[in-house]
Amino acid sequence: MILYTPLSEHDIFPVDETEYDQWKWVAIEGKMVKVQRQDDGSYEIVQFISTNPQDYLNTSYMPGRRIYLNENEGSSKRFV
Amino acid sequence: MTDYQQNETQPNKDHQQQQQSSIVQKIQELGQTNVAQSPDSNIHVLPVIGQIEGHIQLPPKNKTTKYEHLIPQIIAVEQNPKVEGLIVLLNTVGGDVEAGLAIAEMISSLSKPTVSIVLGGGHSIGVPIAVATDYSFIAETATMTIHPIRLTGLVIGVPQTFEYLDKMQERVISFVTRHSIIKPEKFKELMFATGNLTRDIGTNVVGEDAVKYGLINEIGGVYQAMKKLNEMIEKQKDEREKQVIQ
Repeated sequence: MILYTPLSEHDIFPVDETEYDQWKWVAIEGKMVKVQRQDDGSYEIVQFISTNPQDYLNTSYMPGRRIYLNENEGSSKRFV
Repeated sequence: MTDYQQNETQPNKDHQQQQQSSIVQKIQELGQTNVAQSPDSNIHVLPVIGQIEGHIQLPPKNKTTKYEHLIPQIIAVEQNPKVEGLIVLLNTVGGDVEAGLAIAEMISSLSKPTVSIVLGGGHSIGVPIAVATDYSFIAETATMTIHPIRLTGLVIGVPQTFEYLDKMQERVISFVTRHSIIKPEKFKELMFATGNLTRDIGTNVVGEDAVKYGLINEIGGVYQAMKKLNEMIEKQKDEREKQVIQ
């Protein structure tokens, strides 16, 4: 199907709000990491933000790495 | 901002098993067991990749650069005495005008030497970000689309909206012409050119042409950018030393 329209795709097919819930931004050792929740309760690192090129060589922040987060208050620890 | 405690592996597993599984995991992640290490860097990198996200959150499948993520990083670069220079890497299709201009203004107001490299694309609002640095490079194959500002999909119905957009466009034009050697007339000519883009007005400027028009300083990649940035860092240091002596 081809839609000839100047509208962007997400204006025609709105995204389900719950889609956003699987990702969150957390701070690990003061560094911003985007994680995706896995079925077993762990989180997979999806994206990492830093201006320091050395941080990208640190295997602890490698995308795809599984980490466990200590969540005490759940949503109150989210900052994005 | 609260720090999470990072537990890489679950407790009550014996050590050897842990180590083995971590190697297996790494191979699955990046297809290799270790990544190259290098000495500490005095140059930091700011990637501007995907769409520049502003007031509206884009669907999760879009790759985006959020300005609320970049601006604190730019401030951190300015504040951290160990950071002596910044490289801005661009491969963006453009996006929110206000967010893009905010990032561009932040970069241009840094006191430390800055260099940008346009790789792949620095389209639309990526243009002011590319020229915001002290010196700019573009890869030979990289392109920059220059086109008029508009609201995608909305018909401009009233003169006020038109005037508002015209003013916004004027801000972009003045920023670009203040930070590069391109003439406003030339930039506008590229912006309103017809017949270059399918179903749109504007121009797709490829590597060498961007340099020819005075939009970008030079053709180059990582090597040239690092060399230039190191030169600029040295120059700034010399000037500071001279000031101290005087």
